[in-house]
Amino acid sequence: MKEIPDKEILLFKSCLVNVEYPGVESSTRFLFDKLGIEYIVSERQSCCTGLGHYSDLFDQFSTAALAARNFGIARELGHKNIATLCATCYAILKKSGNILNKQDHIRDSINKILDDSGVPDLKYNLEDMDSRSNIFHAVEILYNKVDEIQDLVEVDLSEIKVAAHHACHYCKVHHKDTIGNVRDPMVMETLARACGVQTVNWYDRKTNTCGNGFRQRYMNKDLSFSITAEKLMSLKENEVDILLHMCPNCQLQFDRNQKVIGESFGTEFNIICLNVSQFLALALGADPYKVVGIQTHTVPVEPILDKIKQIIHAYEV
Amino acid sequence: MNTLKIGENTFELAQIIIKDLKASENIGILKCIQCGMCTSLCPAARHTDYDPREIVKRVLDKDESLITDDIIWNCFYCYTCHSVCPVNNSACEVNQILRQKAIDNGKGKPKIAPFSAYGDSFLEYGLGAIPNDFFDHLLKDYGKEWLQLKVDLEDIREELGLGPILLPEKDVNDINKILEKTGFTKRLERVRRCKDEGNSR
Amino acid sequence: MKVKGHFSRYAPKSSIDIGVFLCKCGGNISHTVDIRRLKSSIDAKVVKEFENLCSIKCQRNIRDVILEEELDRVVIVACSPITHEKTFRNHVAPLNPYLLEMANIREQCSWVHSDMDKATEKAISLTNAAIERVKYARPLDAIVRKTKKSAAVIGGGISGITAALSIAKQGIKVHIIEEKPTVGGNMIKIGKVFSPEKLAEECALCLFNPLINEAVQHKNINIITNAELKSSQRKTGNFSLLVERRPSFVKEDKCMACGNCAEVCPVDVPNEWNEKLMFRKAIYKPFPQSVPDVYTIDEENCIKCGKCQKVCTMKAIDLEMKGEIIPLNVGSVVIATGHKGFDLEKRPEYGYCRNEDVITQMELARIMGVNGPTNGKLLKPSDGKVPRRVVMVQCAGSRDEKPGGKRYCSRVCCMVALKHANFIRRYYPETEIIICYTDMRTPGMYENYFRHVQSKEIKLIRGRPGEIVKIDDTIVVRVEDTLKGEQVEIETDMVVLSEAMEPSKGTIKVAETLNVGLTEDLFVKEKHPKIRPVTTDVEGIYVCGTAQGPKDITDSVSQANAAASKVSEIMNGGLEIEPTIAVVDNYKCDICGECVKACKYKAIYMHDERISVDPIACTGCGICISKCKNKAVEVMGQTDSQIFAMIFGLLKDKKEGERRILAFVDYIGYVAADNIGINRISYPESVRIIRIPSINRLMPKHVLFAFENGADGIFLGEYPDDIMYPDIQAKVQEIRSELLRNSIDPDRLLYYKVYAPYFRGLANKLTEFDKQVSKALDKLEPVLYKASSKDL
Repeated sequence: MKEIPDKEILLFKSCLVNVEYPGVESSTRFLFDKLGIEYIVSERQSCCTGLGHYSDLFDQFSTAALAARNFGIARELGHKNIATLCATCYAILKKSGNILNKQDHIRDSINKILDDSGVPDLKYNLEDMDSRSNIFHAVEILYNKVDEIQDLVEVDLSEIKVAAHHACHYCKVHHKDTIGNVRDPMVMETLARACGVQTVNWYDRKTNTCGNGFRQRYMNKDLSFSITAEKLMSLKENEVDILLHMCPNCQLQFDRNQKVIGESFGTEFNIICLNVSQFLALALGADPYKVVGIQTHTVPVEPILDKIKQIIHAYEV
Repeated sequence: MNTLKIGENTFELAQIIIKDLKASENIGILKCIQCGMCTSLCPAARHTDYDPREIVKRVLDKDESLITDDIIWNCFYCYTCHSVCPVNNSACEVNQILRQKAIDNGKGKPKIAPFSAYGDSFLEYGLGAIPNDFFDHLLKDYGKEWLQLKVDLEDIREELGLGPILLPEKDVNDINKILEKTGFTKRLERVRRCKDEGNSR
Repeated sequence: MKVKGHFSRYAPKSSIDIGVFLCKCGGNISHTVDIRRLKSSIDAKVVKEFENLCSIKCQRNIRDVILEEELDRVVIVACSPITHEKTFRNHVAPLNPYLLEMANIREQCSWVHSDMDKATEKAISLTNAAIERVKYARPLDAIVRKTKKSAAVIGGGISGITAALSIAKQGIKVHIIEEKPTVGGNMIKIGKVFSPEKLAEECALCLFNPLINEAVQHKNINIITNAELKSSQRKTGNFSLLVERRPSFVKEDKCMACGNCAEVCPVDVPNEWNEKLMFRKAIYKPFPQSVPDVYTIDEENCIKCGKCQKVCTMKAIDLEMKGEIIPLNVGSVVIATGHKGFDLEKRPEYGYCRNEDVITQMELARIMGVNGPTNGKLLKPSDGKVPRRVVMVQCAGSRDEKPGGKRYCSRVCCMVALKHANFIRRYYPETEIIICYTDMRTPGMYENYFRHVQSKEIKLIRGRPGEIVKIDDTIVVRVEDTLKGEQVEIETDMVVLSEAMEPSKGTIKVAETLNVGLTEDLFVKEKHPKIRPVTTDVEGIYVCGTAQGPKDITDSVSQANAAASKVSEIMNGGLEIEPTIAVVDNYKCDICGECVKACKYKAIYMHDERISVDPIACTGCGICISKCKNKAVEVMGQTDSQIFAMIFGLLKDKKEGERRILAFVDYIGYVAADNIGINRISYPESVRIIRIPSINRLMPKHVLFAFENGADGIFLGEYPDDIMYPDIQAKVQEIRSELLRNSIDPDRLLYYKVYAPYFRGLANKLTEFDKQVSKALDKLEPVLYKASSKDL
């Protein structure tokens, strides 16, 4: 397995996390703090272009130029290890890193643009970023600390059943860098199991996309929803309480649209959608509203809070 | 019946794809043996006429009508085909490149016009935001709680101890300069123009 | 004479009597070369001319002259040594055959030039060179390899047993080293095997068991089971092996295989021989026909309760038994360590680990075996019912470039699937068969079998399935029918994955222990896939069967027999090896090991703190000489003195204004040059060809010496498709930089890749180079190289 850092990390903000599930960022920070992972957040960091990029609006060259700028910021701050909260940021940054390292003429023209734009200090030097050893998903940083997480669990989750939806842009795009098997990574299940929860390790349509499909959610809603529905049906059959996510795009698709999709199929799914960081934060005793941010969810998270029992630690007795 | 004439380079389209910046290094398009593993797992193929194997076949046959064919707009960009292809081809990347070709030749611009707001918000804030055009439509599906969330967002973020969303002004300016020079700003204008034309029609 | 200083080490005795024999070749030579002028230019004790030197009469004549005149050395001025050197060497006795030198004035002179004057001049210099060179010749004796007449075969599957039997029947002692408690390998597990000739399947055990029994009874075969190769050392063409034998805790000579022990054993262990579809006990015999026919305790699972000991009337069980280390000294090793099935956990989408009724072809083979878990009945592992439909998925792990996948085609799976399909259709006509394939590969005679099975009504769907899932009680295979262009969900109750073949763990480990090279896919690499298919890169070690790559039983057996005959070749052939190989002077050698690293033929190895050369493996290429700081290595017959003398001889009569180009070529290059002559194509007379074992033998000092003595250009030609090619490139680079350092125009040096059939290319290149050199000489004032004694 690749080597995963626990310091000099730039926690890469995500546009969708910012406005839809800010609890993902606060939960990740909560976990990083607890686990002693050294990181920073930069207000100068821009969006990766992901949503626009995969809607075909951004061209690859512009996306790579903006990535070079963000890489420059990470380097200047001395935090070259990037941890993303969103799978699309992860895939976009890796791709850009590869282009900047391998295509000399592209790197040269981007550097010229950065120079001409008055930010020569952010120019990209060859091998500044190694896509494999510098760019990670925050989940990977946590996965590396799974033993420590196990020791920090404060609540009893044994009555809860979870399944995982590994984001396509995490496991499929740069498949050589995916932890575990690309076709069934089990990264989130492993983390969840460390918290003592029951996991559904395989379910039909497990490796399916969430159905968002970037433009498809907006332009071909029915097509998009039929894909999402396939997965929701299978999860319902497996009596899953919580679907774990690692990407706000997928989380948005399953959480915000769940009700409408259920209505069109004449059913209610009631599957709670949590980012794996949110789930782990809950397990480690974080406040559901002040850290985990469940108030921004559409499928109510409250029912699960009732199932969670506090473990009374021996030392407290 | 189709006649294969001597001297025609049927690999032209495949070569264009291989050389494109979006294509992975060593993309295996020329090694495709049409095994159909991509299609067997493709979500779009399950519900539409889209068939990633066939897309690749048409590229290898230099079928240029593909660029103007609506079929290419069905891909989800989920990369499932890319992750299983036994010869490291990527129908997903092939599709992305074909769509760029469609945009370049004009036919594709109306397809991406609705998403021009992603570009606007980038130039304005350095961030991506869900296009306003879709707001009402989303609100209907998401429910009114979502609207309330938008209203309360700043308070919630504060409660969660999170910093500001917006980038410092200087950085937004830098980003504008960069995107001007990469040609994105012009590209966006052309897309916007196409959108306005569509609206006025 | 100045030149002598350079190769004084083996300076010839003060007066050497040389006899020169000229051949007119029935006009082939004498029509172009003025024999009289040539004859008069020669400075030797005896010079004689003949019409046809290769005729038996003339050959006898040569011998008489040698005896009469008491000659010390002989030079034959005639045709190419490629065709006639052996003949003439046989006829110089009692002189040592290596005291003969040939000047090739036919293929490389009279046949390529038409100007008699110039051809004669060239013939004179070629003859001079041969005379100079022969002065430094040393008597050499052919090396007789002393190889121990015994071999080790590692692995007791069909390949190992076949190889061992063949070796044993050729009078050689063989040790079979098998890691499992029984021999038989993979083949013994398969119920029925396909055959290229018949449209029916054959019983594997019935074919194989007689061979195993024959091996057991053969006086030359010693089978060591439960054993592993621990270490290996090469020693003058032999191998000292250490084999570790695990304790079986059952005394082989006492056990009657009654089975009472297993009946009382309380430990259940999944039975590997039945692909873990059943259980066995911790004390067990793998299967009824196991060889040797004794019980074994598997140490890992035994709880040492002692129950078996109590019921064993023969007192055969010894729970205190210790393992042993068996030293073997053998002359040759055959690797027959086989393959294993692809690990299907790497393809979780096929649900092999989640679904009992998704099985492998090997598991199906066990299920279909009459001695298998269901006594040969086709039953689903989940509920013991006959499946209504069986879907077979081809290329499970094969032809897959994704992580964990195998790039190659596993070669047998199409036939295995068809065999099982045929079998099922015959005995279970109610059960449907669907095979999902990408290409059906049934080459050669197997195509007949394919057609035959098709006629039994099997459904073929062209498409590679992406996913196999269970929905309610039904298994669903998701695939695109690519010929229809539609996604299909195939409902079924049983799936058989045609798993890829991959090298067994033992194959990888044994190769490492023996220092034998592996391919990218970790199979044992053959020395040459076409002409040395069973030879490994270590001389004396051979490979056969699936350890070398995926193949069926037919091919495994052919390879096993080939490997056996290679073993016999070195043991029964009374092998005499050309002595023109590297020799290490142990007084000068400081065992730095640079030569060992440089030799990709693995001919040089370290043993007992000495450097040794394997005479069979050594090609005499000479790379070791350039790596040796202490000048402790020499290649016999290609000593520095001989090379310097030859260069000197080719240049010594160079006239004012004349151009001379020395072309150093390897064997293939020399053959190509001969072909130019045979086809009567011409090239400039300036070209003088010198045969060397390889460009790797040359050193900058040779080239500089040539320039100093008047060479105008140096041409280097060699066949490039050899493992040493990268070193040749480095060598050419080294020579080129040395030229620059000595202010010699690098345009006066050329390296060219030579191919034997493309002799026209060589002729053109020689012509072009002659022009290039002429231009280079016009361009610059010739800078003479002054040799410093330090360099030489």
